[in-house]
Amino acid sequence: MEQRRTALDREIVLERLIEAPRRFVFEAFTKPEHLSNWWGPDGFTTTTTAFDFRAGGEWIFTMHGPDGTDYPNWMRWEEIVPPERIVATHGDRPDDPEAFTSVFTFSEEAGATRITLRTIFPSVEARDRAVSEYHAVEGGQQTLGRLAAFAIGLSKEV
Amino acid sequence: MPRAATTSDVFNAIAEPQRRRILSLLREREHTVGAISHSLGLAQPTTSKHLKVLKEVGLVDVETHGRQRLYRLDARGLREVHEWTGGFERFWEGTFDRLETYARDLERKEREDGTTPHSPRP
Repeated sequence: MEQRRTALDREIVLERLIEAPRRFVFEAFTKPEHLSNWWGPDGFTTTTTAFDFRAGGEWIFTMHGPDGTDYPNWMRWEEIVPPERIVATHGDRPDDPEAFTSVFTFSEEAGATRITLRTIFPSVEARDRAVSEYHAVEGGQQTLGRLAAFAIGLSKEV
Repeated sequence: MPRAATTSDVFNAIAEPQRRRILSLLREREHTVGAISHSLGLAQPTTSKHLKVLKEVGLVDVETHGRQRLYRLDARGLREVHEWTGGFERFWEGTFDRLETYARDLERKEREDGTTPHSPRP
């Protein structure tokens, strides 16, 4: 069977319940002095070069990994609907061909906030590469990146 | 300590390019050793050797039909690799943990100050 080439193959969807009211969760996205406090996993810090929180505005920043590696990042806010939804294009620079779209939605759930992150990659290959690269960022290991893409492709059949 | 035997885990088993080709082939449907050898241009003993490794780590299973032995992919064995490589999920899991802590800080600050950090209350 040929692997299907639908948008689903190019997406990663993550969901998480955050124990805080929605407007504070949304607020945390709106200023670099907020973002620098939480963006990135443990051990990472963020330095912002430019920040303009409006549709069409950009966020240019560097993520500093715990091992001292710097990761250049570029984001353009495409759509901002407080406090419900943020759509952004995310890459390492403005003309990054591998840039992907991230859609954050915030919904209220009994005083808590359900945040959904839908990430849509330009191709299946870019998606698989991002999966291995995020692993690299996160774990500092790259050697199994190709195996990872292969295994993910196969395990989709299960 | 000697390195892990090739047959001992899925990571080692799929590190070998020919074995990856075999798995890709089995993804379509089950095959006999002969058919796999023919499709991939491998000698039959080589194919058998690779299939033995894949079988030992649980990536393929065999079904006997009369005198025919059919090899079939069991991709469940790859879940371990898939999970190990779940860096994207872990990245965001860590980020969302920190977002939660920070959003709660913002909420507490507002309660203490009696002011909203950004937008006025509706």
